[in-house]
Amino acid sequence: MDAFPPLQEWFPAAVAAYLTSAAAAVVLARWPRLCRVTAFGGSMLGSALVVALALSVLAGEPVSGRLGVHAASGIAFGYAVTPLAAWFLLVLGLVSAPVALYSIGYLPHAVPDGRTALLGASFNVLVAAVAVVFAAADVITFLLAWEVMTLATAALVASEHEIPATRRAAYVYLVMSHVGTGALLAGFLMLASMAGSVSFEFVLAGDVAAGRWRDVLFVLFFFGFGVKAGVIPLHIWLPEAHPAAPSNISALMSAVLIKAGIYGLFRVCAFGLGVPAVNWGLGVMALGALSAILGVLYALAQSDLKRLLAYSTIENAGIILLGLGAGMTAAALGRADLAAAGIAASLFHVLNHALFKGLLFLSAGSVVMASGSRRLEELGGLIRRMPWTAAFFLVGALAVSGLPPLNGFASEWLTFQALLLGFASLSGVTRMNFPLAGALLALTSALAAACFVKAFGTVFLALPRSRAAIDAGESPAIMLVPQGWLAVLCVGVGLFPGAVLGAIAGVLTSLPGLRLAHAPAGALTMAVGPASFDHVAPAALGLTLAAAVLGAAIVAMAPRLRSGQARLARRVPTWGCGGELGPANQYTGAAFSKPLMMIFRTVLRPTREVEALADVSPYYPREVRYRTAIEPVFERYLYHPLTTAVLGAAGRLKVLQAGSLHAYLAYVLVLGVVLLIWLGGMR
Amino acid sequence: MIEHALAPIGLAALQAAAMLALAPLLRGLIKKMKAALQMRQGPPLLQVYYDLAKLLRKEAVRSATSSWLYIAGPRMYFATAVVATTLVPVWIAAAPLEAAGGVLAFVGILALGRFFLATAALDTGSPFGGMGASREMTIAALAEPALMLGLFTAALSAGSLNLGALVRGLLDRGVAFHPSDVLALAGLFIVVIAETGRVPVDNPATHLELTMIHEAMVLEYAGADLALVEWASALKELLYLTLLADLFAPIGIATSASPVLLLQSALIWAAKMFVLALAVTLVESTNAKLRLFRVPDLMAVSLGLGFLALAIRFL
Repeated sequence: MDAFPPLQEWFPAAVAAYLTSAAAAVVLARWPRLCRVTAFGGSMLGSALVVALALSVLAGEPVSGRLGVHAASGIAFGYAVTPLAAWFLLVLGLVSAPVALYSIGYLPHAVPDGRTALLGASFNVLVAAVAVVFAAADVITFLLAWEVMTLATAALVASEHEIPATRRAAYVYLVMSHVGTGALLAGFLMLASMAGSVSFEFVLAGDVAAGRWRDVLFVLFFFGFGVKAGVIPLHIWLPEAHPAAPSNISALMSAVLIKAGIYGLFRVCAFGLGVPAVNWGLGVMALGALSAILGVLYALAQSDLKRLLAYSTIENAGIILLGLGAGMTAAALGRADLAAAGIAASLFHVLNHALFKGLLFLSAGSVVMASGSRRLEELGGLIRRMPWTAAFFLVGALAVSGLPPLNGFASEWLTFQALLLGFASLSGVTRMNFPLAGALLALTSALAAACFVKAFGTVFLALPRSRAAIDAGESPAIMLVPQGWLAVLCVGVGLFPGAVLGAIAGVLTSLPGLRLAHAPAGALTMAVGPASFDHVAPAALGLTLAAAVLGAAIVAMAPRLRSGQARLARRVPTWGCGGELGPANQYTGAAFSKPLMMIFRTVLRPTREVEALADVSPYYPREVRYRTAIEPVFERYLYHPLTTAVLGAAGRLKVLQAGSLHAYLAYVLVLGVVLLIWLGGMR
Repeated sequence: MIEHALAPIGLAALQAAAMLALAPLLRGLIKKMKAALQMRQGPPLLQVYYDLAKLLRKEAVRSATSSWLYIAGPRMYFATAVVATTLVPVWIAAAPLEAAGGVLAFVGILALGRFFLATAALDTGSPFGGMGASREMTIAALAEPALMLGLFTAALSAGSLNLGALVRGLLDRGVAFHPSDVLALAGLFIVVIAETGRVPVDNPATHLELTMIHEAMVLEYAGADLALVEWASALKELLYLTLLADLFAPIGIATSASPVLLLQSALIWAAKMFVLALAVTLVESTNAKLRLFRVPDLMAVSLGLGFLALAIRFL
């Protein structure tokens, strides 16, 4: 074992691998093929190191050390891979490795060769920055990595910058992120000056702030991290930025980048400011429920595949927050075991969302590459042209809908447990929030199922709706293998949730105020409360299901086998109501979600325009144009007044900045005199 | 060790087979009672069996545009209904596969079947399939929170989310009637009506494109594929009614495996099913089908009832 370097060197080595790959990408810019293989191959190496380190920390002891020291100022950049950080690093490594492999096959089709180097380098810088965010041991390292992360993402989002919508998406992302970072900076400065240190060990010890200040800090940090996590109403950048970026980047953003925000919420809001207040927990739960419901409703309304997935990311961030909020509420009420259940559900969903949403974005990328379109209404019938991609997308769709025996079910099951255990063990009116949140979670997952039946059915089934969809072909193996890997993980985690819960138990014991009352029983069964309350063994469900499917196949086949009829089914054209069935007769995605749009119209405020172009008589239109949209409520009623007010104030302040040197000199003079008087008075 | 695993598997297979065998009878019974209320003679009690047998022998005809999912749909739908059967206590106060999961697994596995059937409906390219799938998923989405709340009320008062433990918990509690039960039962009954596609939410007898929901979704199926769908729907209906009996009137269910108790329990179960079937028939015969966009109101009522039941029970 001496041949292995000590664990302390693994994290710097992984960061070095990412940064070297980034540098190599720039150096090899003139040879796009070599550049891709080096940049993303190196990235996979770094991710492998990250996964190995995370697993060994989860199994053993935390690791800490230094990434470097700034010689002139003497500032040391420390890192500490705590079990919590290891969990998020595991998620990062597990998803970014397949995404990197996918990128090697995907990039030549997605961007011009001239941009390969920029993308390869930014990709690696982004992954390195997120890794450092997860492992940072002090405020300065954290904020530096946070900013690098933001900028690298902006560069990736803007990689197709000749499209105006993409530029706008990158701009909105930058503005929102920086407002959020401003809140974080303020929060950390306050905490650091109260603690007299910049090390997280002291800053986030939990005893630094007290009273009102704690609430102020909580709100600041929730705002700052919530922007990154895509929590409604701080989400407006997300549905713009995710679709604008190339699909491999969308996968990375949805699976990993928003988890940086979630990590911050865990590290600071839940466990860094002392025992949470009840109102914090309830607030997090409320915003989680809001994000989940609105996220999935907006997703249903989309006709752009990647926007649909982006809104589904908001929904899942909401589910993660529901678990976290339930845990925080229970912790505030002094129930360590209940808090552990909520936090476990939340952490589990972090992993699951990364796996299935990474998978879905990669499959969507294959679809976009093959057909050149993201619009649902231009796709269709791809299951015959892209059978593997269709199968992988189906796995992701089942997982995101929370259906057993896939991984989404496991974490939603845990979230339900946290909510119901919370209700059963607490008293007072507060606990009524728990079953209410449970009902909203049930609604969310049922709506998600409707949303993904629509997405899968419209994209992959029936007849192709455009020339592009007819000509589409399957992706190369280098893009299918990463999807297959993520699909296998989705199924594997779903079948063996107990093993994952065992790893999470290690994280829980390292966090203050949590106590897992019941040790995980094994790899197959999952239970967080007493076993008599509830448990689930998805593998048993899966096996029974497999046996039952076999039984169904026999039931369907046996009678005809005996009567000696042909086993093959007769294939006939679908009945077209007397006419010939064409792509135009099919139900569209918009039509599929129309009833739900109508039912939730008070929330979604759909608008529609119907235009009939007729030559002879209005009763025989030559062409009907139908356009539907939902009102961007938050943009219109929250952000628009806000930006108008800011711009108005800036316009009025412009008088001060008149461009006259004399005026500026006068300001300096006045300020100097005032300072002299004030400082003199203080003495 | 092996005996430990084999006993539940055997019980599960037995229970699933018995429920599958009885499910068409319930459909036939409801049809017969409905006909009696309309002063008609109606089809024979066993007509549903004849239909299934005939469909199973028929040649399979499938759409040329469809893929493997179209074939997988009915099989998954049937299989999920069978798996759900093994999670519910029917004649004995324990579900055969109690170790596999409880209420949440039950709801999840049925949702899996619905997902597959709705997806398969989109596979032929027929507008009817899309229409049916869209409406089915819409109503399911609205029914899901009400179903969960109703189940939560029962589960929390019994102290378990596992259906077997839940029934035993309710039996231990005794015959104590609680006013909240009425509200919870009413709420869940509405959900069961919606989930089984009965009037006033859906009409199992209609094939008019403006009104049909479930039937539109499976309109393209023929032969054995259709038989699987019909049989699974019948099984689901029997299962939901059994669930209602378990949650609100568990009395009489066998607490040990003695033959006398089992026989007694089976008879009591049959009586409960008859009463519930009668209730379904009465609702179906005395109500007109609601417009699709009035169904959300009904679901909201159900959700409200569920929440009220929970509040009355625990506040």
